[in-house]
Amino acid sequence: MRENENSDCGLSKTRSFAVWDPLVRLIHWSLAFAILLNGAILDDDGKWHEYVGYVALGIVGIRLVWGIIGTRYARFWSFPPNPFAALRHFRYMSGNDKVVHLSHNPLGALMAYNIWATVIFLGVTGYMMGTVRFFGFEWVEELHEVAFGWLIVSIVLHVGGVFFDGWRTGVPLVKAMIGGRKKVPADRQIK
Amino acid sequence: MNKRPFPKGKRERRALTIAAIILLQALTAMFFVGDVLFDFLAGNDLDVIHSTLELIAALALTAGVALLMFELRDLFHRMAEMDVGLHAARGGMDDLINAFFEDWRLTPSEREIALFILKGVDNEAIARMRGTAQSTVRAQSARIYAKAKVDSRAQLLSIFLEELLSGEEA
Repeated sequence: MRENENSDCGLSKTRSFAVWDPLVRLIHWSLAFAILLNGAILDDDGKWHEYVGYVALGIVGIRLVWGIIGTRYARFWSFPPNPFAALRHFRYMSGNDKVVHLSHNPLGALMAYNIWATVIFLGVTGYMMGTVRFFGFEWVEELHEVAFGWLIVSIVLHVGGVFFDGWRTGVPLVKAMIGGRKKVPADRQIK
Repeated sequence: MNKRPFPKGKRERRALTIAAIILLQALTAMFFVGDVLFDFLAGNDLDVIHSTLELIAALALTAGVALLMFELRDLFHRMAEMDVGLHAARGGMDDLINAFFEDWRLTPSEREIALFILKGVDNEAIARMRGTAQSTVRAQSARIYAKAKVDSRAQLLSIFLEELLSGEEA
């Protein structure tokens, strides 16, 4: 544990941590791709929309299993859903405290759970629409559409949050989700 | 200076491959399980042999996924441990260099030049980076060598290497 930057030699300006394992990254980007396909490209009533929806559901399912048995920063206990911590995080952001969270920060954690829950909800209502029992029920379809709207709002907030936090803490977060490593400026504390 | 990365590409590629297989295989397993369940719930013409085989395939795939997940977790943690070791080594090297520089009573500009020398930068480039004449850099490095009681770049470097490789006895 070396927090001090005693060297005037500039040997280490940033520290890098292998945070996101390749499964987390693949899951993240394939889920994003599936959402893009179903939300913007495929015909809503088509068979492909249904299949891509099931795949998205499956991807979230794999992530949930990985949240229990996966690598350190991918596990749920690294980023427990805690609304109070998220509120406190707002206060941190207005102060000078620039602690870097190696896993998700408390707000980001809530967003991750929110997006997974929304995708599951979309998957379930989407499945219900195709069943004999709920076929033709308006409210199922309406729920599906409301959930999709919420998903879009969430994604906008998520992307905005990623760029904001990257700017605030100096950690290039998008790069971290591609290469798996978080590069933390030397003067930042780590949590 | 072009930086040669620490050799770890092979492990990272292996981890990525395992992750891709986990993702595909898990989706396939879900497809089979879903299919078996669907057949069962819909009361389709149940061919016992067919559904039994499907069930076995699903179970085998799931077991494979679980195994690969544990494998990936261990591999990733080993990679992270190696990272920590490298961090410690870097920190140690940093401290070591500072201690020697302190010991030799190098001036701030001598420290900077000594560090460039350790990093393998030649006098010409050092002069360019510091905006001084090459003769100045040569004179300064001569003073560094004198303070460190060595005759050449290679000897200066070997002081640190020897310290790192020597183990317990000092």
